[in-house]
Amino acid sequence: MDRREEVLAIILSALESLNLELPEAERVKVGPTTPLFGPDATLDSLSLVSVIVDVETALTMRWDAPISLTDDRAMSREISPFDTVGTLTDYVLELLQEIAPA
Amino acid sequence: MDLYSGKTALVTGATRGVGRIIAEHFLSEGASVIGFARGEPSLTAAAYHHVQVDLADPMAIQKAFLGLHKQITRLDIVVNNAAVLTSQYAMIMPPAAAQAMVNVNLLAPFIVSREAAKFMRKSKWGRIINIGSMAVSLEPIGDSVYAATKAGLSTLANVMAKEFGPMNVTCNTLGITAIESDMLSQLPRDKIDAIIAGLPVPRFATAADILNVVDFFAAEASSYVTAQTVFLGGVN
Repeated sequence: MDRREEVLAIILSALESLNLELPEAERVKVGPTTPLFGPDATLDSLSLVSVIVDVETALTMRWDAPISLTDDRAMSREISPFDTVGTLTDYVLELLQEIAPA
Repeated sequence: MDLYSGKTALVTGATRGVGRIIAEHFLSEGASVIGFARGEPSLTAAAYHHVQVDLADPMAIQKAFLGLHKQITRLDIVVNNAAVLTSQYAMIMPPAAAQAMVNVNLLAPFIVSREAAKFMRKSKWGRIINIGSMAVSLEPIGDSVYAATKAGLSTLANVMAKEFGPMNVTCNTLGITAIESDMLSQLPRDKIDAIIAGLPVPRFATAADILNVVDFFAAEASSYVTAQTVFLGGVN
Protein backbone atom coordinates (compact mmCIF):
# COMPACT_ATOMS: atom_id res chain seq x y z
CA MET A 1 0.00 0.00 0.00
CA ASP A 2 1.54 3.34 -0.99
CA ARG A 3 1.37 6.39 1.23
CA ARG A 4 -1.62 7.95 -0.54
CA GLU A 5 -3.62 4.76 -0.17
CA GLU A 6 -2.63 4.49 3.48
CA VAL A 7 -3.71 8.06 4.27
CA LEU A 8 -6.95 7.63 2.34
CA ALA A 9 -7.68 4.44 4.30
CA ILE A 10 -7.14 6.30 7.59
CA ILE A 11 -9.58 9.05 6.58
CA LEU A 12 -12.20 6.61 5.31
CA SER A 13 -11.85 4.60 8.51
CA ALA A 14 -12.55 7.76 10.52
CA LEU A 15 -15.73 8.31 8.51
CA GLU A 16 -16.78 4.70 9.07
CA SER A 17 -16.22 5.16 12.81
CA LEU A 18 -18.36 8.27 12.72
CA ASN A 19 -21.15 6.40 10.95
CA LEU A 20 -21.19 3.86 13.78
CA GLU A 21 -22.18 6.70 16.13
CA LEU A 22 -24.79 8.30 13.85
CA PRO A 23 -28.43 7.34 13.30
CA GLU A 24 -28.88 5.58 9.95
CA ALA A 25 -30.58 8.58 8.33
CA GLU A 26 -27.62 10.85 9.17
CA ARG A 27 -24.79 8.59 8.06
CA VAL A 28 -22.33 10.01 5.54
CA LYS A 29 -21.18 8.53 2.27
CA VAL A 30 -17.71 7.02 2.62
CA GLY A 31 -15.52 7.63 -0.41
CA PRO A 32 -12.72 9.78 -1.84
CA THR A 33 -15.10 12.47 -3.07
CA THR A 34 -17.15 12.77 0.13
CA PRO A 35 -17.58 16.45 1.06
CA LEU A 36 -16.44 17.16 4.62
CA PHE A 37 -17.00 20.90 4.92
CA GLY A 38 -19.05 23.47 3.04
CA PRO A 39 -22.51 23.62 1.49
CA ASP A 40 -22.38 20.10 0.07
CA ALA A 41 -21.25 18.47 3.31
CA THR A 42 -23.70 16.58 5.49
CA LEU A 43 -21.44 16.47 8.57
CA ASP A 44 -22.27 18.84 11.39
CA SER A 45 -19.43 20.66 13.14
CA LEU A 46 -19.11 18.12 15.98
CA SER A 47 -18.99 15.24 13.49
CA LEU A 48 -16.22 16.97 11.54
CA VAL A 49 -14.28 17.49 14.78
CA SER A 50 -14.66 13.77 15.53
CA VAL A 51 -13.29 12.85 12.11
CA ILE A 52 -10.36 15.26 12.45
CA VAL A 53 -9.51 13.90 15.91
CA ASP A 54 -9.61 10.30 14.67
CA VAL A 55 -7.47 11.11 11.64
CA GLU A 56 -4.95 13.10 13.72
CA THR A 57 -4.71 10.32 16.28
CA ALA A 58 -4.22 7.62 13.65
CA LEU A 59 -1.59 9.67 11.78
CA THR A 60 0.22 10.50 15.00
CA MET A 61 0.36 6.84 15.99
CA ARG A 62 1.40 5.67 12.53
CA TRP A 63 4.18 8.23 12.04
CA ASP A 64 5.10 8.54 15.72
CA ALA A 65 4.95 12.35 15.79
CA PRO A 66 2.24 14.80 16.81
CA ILE A 67 0.37 15.88 13.68
CA SER A 68 -2.09 18.77 13.72
CA LEU A 69 -4.52 19.20 10.84
CA THR A 70 -5.96 22.46 12.09
CA ASP A 71 -3.05 24.82 12.45
CA ASP A 72 -2.99 28.34 11.00
CA ARG A 73 -1.66 27.08 7.69
CA ALA A 74 -4.66 24.84 7.14
CA MET A 75 -7.14 27.50 8.15
CA SER A 76 -5.69 30.24 5.95
CA ARG A 77 -5.77 28.31 2.68
CA GLU A 78 -7.89 29.55 -0.20
CA ILE A 79 -9.08 26.00 -0.79
CA SER A 80 -9.82 24.39 2.55
CA PRO A 81 -8.10 21.06 3.20
CA PHE A 82 -11.44 19.95 4.62
CA ASP A 83 -13.50 20.42 1.46
CA THR A 84 -13.50 16.73 0.62
CA VAL A 85 -11.79 13.50 1.55
CA GLY A 86 -9.57 14.05 -1.49
CA THR A 87 -8.38 17.52 -0.46
CA LEU A 88 -7.75 16.29 3.06
CA THR A 89 -5.71 13.40 1.69
CA ASP A 90 -3.60 15.82 -0.35
CA TYR A 91 -3.05 18.05 2.68
CA VAL A 92 -2.02 15.17 4.91
CA LEU A 93 0.45 13.97 2.28
CA GLU A 94 1.93 17.47 2.21
CA LEU A 95 2.34 17.48 6.00
CA LEU A 96 3.86 14.01 6.00
CA GLN A 97 6.34 15.04 3.34
CA GLU A 98 7.70 17.56 5.86
CA ILE A 99 8.03 15.21 8.81
CA ALA A 100 8.83 11.98 6.96
CA PRO A 101 9.83 12.56 3.32
CA ALA A 102 8.78 9.63 1.15
CA MET B 1 -15.69 -2.66 46.03
CA ASP B 2 -13.15 0.11 45.72
CA LEU B 3 -14.46 3.48 44.57
CA TYR B 4 -12.25 3.65 41.48
CA SER B 5 -11.81 0.00 40.62
CA GLY B 6 -11.20 -0.40 36.89
CA LYS B 7 -10.72 3.32 36.35
CA THR B 8 -7.64 5.03 34.98
CA ALA B 9 -6.88 8.49 36.33
CA LEU B 10 -4.31 11.06 35.30
CA VAL B 11 -3.08 13.55 37.89
CA THR B 12 -0.76 16.38 36.98
CA GLY B 13 1.75 17.47 39.58
CA ALA B 14 1.44 14.08 41.26
CA THR B 15 4.79 14.03 43.04
CA ARG B 16 3.90 16.29 45.96
CA GLY B 17 1.28 18.39 47.69
CA VAL B 18 -2.35 18.16 46.65
CA GLY B 19 -1.54 16.19 43.50
CA ARG B 20 0.17 13.48 45.50
CA ILE B 21 -2.71 13.34 47.99
CA ILE B 22 -5.20 12.85 45.15
CA ALA B 23 -3.01 10.31 43.34
CA GLU B 24 -2.56 8.28 46.54
CA HIS B 25 -6.32 8.39 47.15
CA PHE B 26 -7.12 7.12 43.66
CA LEU B 27 -4.56 4.33 44.09
CA SER B 28 -5.95 3.35 47.48
CA GLU B 29 -9.42 3.16 45.93
CA GLY B 30 -8.38 0.80 43.15
CA ALA B 31 -7.56 3.09 40.23
CA SER B 32 -4.59 2.92 37.93
CA VAL B 33 -2.92 6.30 38.12
CA ILE B 34 -0.75 8.13 35.62
CA GLY B 35 1.23 10.97 37.12
CA PHE B 36 2.51 13.84 34.99
CA ALA B 37 5.25 15.87 36.64
CA ARG B 38 8.56 17.48 35.87
CA GLY B 39 10.36 15.67 38.68
CA GLU B 40 11.14 12.09 39.59
CA PRO B 41 8.28 9.92 40.85
CA SER B 42 7.58 9.92 44.57
CA LEU B 43 5.01 7.12 44.43
CA THR B 44 6.01 3.50 43.99
CA ALA B 45 2.67 1.66 43.81
CA ALA B 46 2.42 -1.00 41.11
CA ALA B 47 -0.64 0.71 39.65
CA TYR B 48 1.21 4.03 39.38
CA HIS B 49 2.82 5.03 36.10
CA HIS B 50 4.95 8.15 36.14
CA VAL B 51 5.52 10.31 33.10
CA GLN B 52 8.24 12.91 33.45
CA VAL B 53 7.07 15.90 31.45
CA ASP B 54 7.57 19.64 31.58
CA LEU B 55 4.00 20.92 31.78
CA ALA B 56 5.16 24.36 30.70
CA ASP B 57 5.85 22.90 27.25
CA PRO B 58 2.71 22.13 25.18
CA MET B 59 4.65 20.01 22.71
CA ALA B 60 6.10 17.92 25.54
CA ILE B 61 2.56 17.26 26.83
CA GLN B 62 1.43 16.14 23.39
CA LYS B 63 4.41 13.81 23.14
CA ALA B 64 3.54 12.39 26.57
CA PHE B 65 0.04 11.63 25.31
CA LEU B 66 1.50 10.03 22.20
CA GLY B 67 3.27 7.64 24.58
CA LEU B 68 0.06 7.03 26.52
CA HIS B 69 -1.81 6.06 23.36
CA LYS B 70 0.65 3.18 23.01
CA GLN B 71 0.11 2.01 26.58
CA ILE B 72 -3.52 2.56 27.52
CA THR B 73 -6.86 2.40 25.75
CA ARG B 74 -8.97 4.40 28.17
CA LEU B 75 -8.60 7.37 30.45
CA ASP B 76 -11.49 8.04 32.80
CA ILE B 77 -10.51 10.81 35.17
CA VAL B 78 -8.19 13.79 34.81
CA VAL B 79 -7.17 16.06 37.65
CA ASN B 80 -5.45 19.20 36.45
CA ASN B 81 -3.58 20.01 39.63
CA ALA B 82 -0.08 21.14 38.68
CA ALA B 83 0.52 24.82 39.24
CA VAL B 84 3.31 27.28 39.86
CA LEU B 85 3.04 30.40 41.93
CA THR B 86 5.10 33.56 42.03
CA SER B 87 3.53 36.11 44.33
CA GLN B 88 4.82 39.58 43.59
CA TYR B 89 3.59 43.11 43.04
CA ALA B 90 2.59 43.43 39.37
CA MET B 91 5.04 46.27 38.69
CA ILE B 92 7.99 44.10 39.63
CA MET B 93 6.70 40.67 38.57
CA PRO B 94 9.30 39.11 36.24
CA PRO B 95 7.62 38.49 32.87
CA ALA B 96 9.16 35.02 32.75
CA ALA B 97 7.47 34.12 36.03
CA ALA B 98 4.15 35.42 34.72
CA GLN B 99 4.60 33.41 31.53
CA ALA B 100 5.39 30.26 33.50
CA MET B 101 2.15 30.63 35.48
CA VAL B 102 0.14 31.03 32.27
CA ASN B 103 1.82 27.99 30.73
CA VAL B 104 1.59 25.61 33.68
CA ASN B 105 -1.62 26.81 35.35
CA LEU B 106 -3.77 27.44 32.29
CA LEU B 107 -2.29 26.26 29.00
CA ALA B 108 -1.24 22.85 30.35
CA PRO B 109 -4.75 22.05 31.69
CA PHE B 110 -6.12 23.00 28.28
CA ILE B 111 -3.74 20.67 26.43
CA VAL B 112 -4.14 17.85 28.98
CA SER B 113 -7.93 18.14 28.92
CA ARG B 114 -8.21 18.17 25.15
CA GLU B 115 -5.87 15.21 24.75
CA ALA B 116 -7.69 13.32 27.52
CA ALA B 117 -11.02 14.06 25.85
CA LYS B 118 -9.81 12.14 22.81
CA PHE B 119 -9.67 9.04 25.00
CA MET B 120 -12.93 9.83 26.77
CA ARG B 121 -14.93 10.30 23.58
CA LYS B 122 -14.22 6.68 22.70
CA SER B 123 -15.52 5.33 26.01
CA LYS B 124 -18.20 8.02 26.27
CA TRP B 125 -17.36 8.61 29.92
CA GLY B 126 -15.03 11.03 31.58
CA ARG B 127 -14.46 13.35 34.50
CA ILE B 128 -12.18 16.37 34.22
CA ILE B 129 -11.48 18.12 37.50
CA ASN B 130 -9.46 21.31 37.70
CA ILE B 131 -7.86 22.38 40.94
CA GLY B 132 -8.60 26.07 41.33
CA SER B 133 -7.86 28.41 44.17
CA MET B 134 -9.45 30.72 46.70
CA ALA B 135 -7.24 33.39 45.14
CA VAL B 136 -9.85 33.70 42.38
CA SER B 137 -12.34 35.11 44.83
CA LEU B 138 -10.05 36.75 47.40
CA GLU B 139 -7.80 38.42 44.79
CA PRO B 140 -4.80 38.84 47.13
CA ILE B 141 -2.21 41.51 46.41
CA GLY B 142 0.70 39.95 44.55
CA ASP B 143 -1.38 37.19 42.98
CA SER B 144 -2.61 39.03 39.88
CA VAL B 145 -1.41 36.48 37.34
CA TYR B 146 -1.86 33.45 39.59
CA ALA B 147 -5.45 34.40 40.40
CA ALA B 148 -6.15 35.19 36.76
CA THR B 149 -4.89 31.80 35.60
CA LYS B 150 -6.98 30.04 38.26
CA ALA B 151 -10.05 32.05 37.25
CA GLY B 152 -9.31 31.00 33.70
CA LEU B 153 -9.44 27.36 34.80
CA SER B 154 -13.11 27.70 35.71
CA THR B 155 -13.90 29.31 32.39
CA LEU B 156 -11.92 26.59 30.61
CA ALA B 157 -13.94 23.92 32.39
CA ASN B 158 -17.23 25.65 31.70
CA VAL B 159 -16.64 25.90 27.95
CA MET B 160 -15.26 22.37 27.74
CA ALA B 161 -18.32 21.17 29.66
CA LYS B 162 -20.41 22.33 26.70
CA GLU B 163 -18.11 20.78 24.11
CA PHE B 164 -17.67 17.47 25.93
CA GLY B 165 -21.16 17.15 27.41
CA PRO B 166 -22.46 15.07 24.49
CA MET B 167 -19.64 12.60 25.20
CA ASN B 168 -20.76 12.18 28.83
CA VAL B 169 -17.65 13.98 30.02
CA THR B 170 -18.09 16.44 32.88
CA CYS B 171 -15.73 19.33 33.61
CA ASN B 172 -15.65 20.98 37.03
CA THR B 173 -13.37 23.06 39.20
CA LEU B 174 -12.50 22.72 42.87
CA GLY B 175 -11.33 25.97 44.39
CA ILE B 176 -9.18 24.97 47.33
CA THR B 177 -8.11 27.07 50.26
CA ALA B 178 -4.67 26.89 51.84
CA ILE B 179 -3.30 23.47 52.70
CA GLU B 180 0.13 22.75 54.13
CA SER B 181 2.27 22.29 51.02
CA ASP B 182 5.50 23.31 49.32
CA MET B 183 3.61 26.03 47.45
CA LEU B 184 2.24 27.49 50.67
CA SER B 185 5.71 27.66 52.18
CA GLN B 186 6.66 30.16 49.45
CA LEU B 187 4.22 32.71 50.85
CA PRO B 188 4.51 34.87 53.98
CA ARG B 189 2.88 32.93 56.79
CA ASP B 190 1.30 36.00 58.38
CA LYS B 191 -0.39 36.86 55.09
CA ILE B 192 -1.85 33.35 54.80
CA ASP B 193 -2.95 33.28 58.43
CA ALA B 194 -4.78 36.60 57.96
CA ILE B 195 -6.61 35.26 54.90
CA ILE B 196 -7.58 32.05 56.67
CA ALA B 197 -8.84 33.98 59.70
CA GLY B 198 -11.23 35.85 57.42
CA LEU B 199 -12.84 32.74 55.93
CA PRO B 200 -16.33 31.63 57.01
CA VAL B 201 -14.67 28.41 58.16
CA PRO B 202 -11.41 29.84 59.52
CA ARG B 203 -9.04 26.91 59.22
CA PHE B 204 -6.68 25.36 56.70
CA ALA B 205 -8.05 22.77 54.29
CA THR B 206 -7.36 19.12 54.99
CA ALA B 207 -6.81 16.28 52.54
CA ALA B 208 -10.27 14.97 53.46
CA ASP B 209 -11.87 18.30 52.54
CA ILE B 210 -10.31 18.15 49.09
CA LEU B 211 -10.92 14.44 48.46
CA ASN B 212 -14.58 14.79 49.45
CA VAL B 213 -15.23 17.13 46.51
CA VAL B 214 -12.94 15.25 44.13
CA ASP B 215 -14.93 12.08 44.87
CA PHE B 216 -18.18 13.98 44.34
CA PHE B 217 -17.12 15.32 40.94
CA ALA B 218 -15.71 11.95 39.88
CA ALA B 219 -18.71 9.90 40.99
CA GLU B 220 -20.85 7.97 38.55
CA ALA B 221 -23.86 9.69 40.09
CA SER B 222 -22.45 13.12 39.20
CA SER B 223 -23.04 12.82 35.46
CA TYR B 224 -25.47 15.77 35.69
CA VAL B 225 -22.97 17.96 37.54
CA THR B 226 -20.79 19.91 35.14
CA ALA B 227 -19.47 23.45 34.58
CA GLN B 228 -19.45 24.01 38.34
CA THR B 229 -16.89 25.58 40.62
CA VAL B 230 -16.96 24.56 44.28
CA PHE B 231 -14.91 26.58 46.73
CA LEU B 232 -13.85 25.14 50.06
CA GLY B 233 -14.09 26.92 53.39
CA GLY B 234 -16.96 29.20 52.50
CA VAL B 235 -15.08 31.18 49.85
CA ASN B 236 -17.45 32.38 47.16
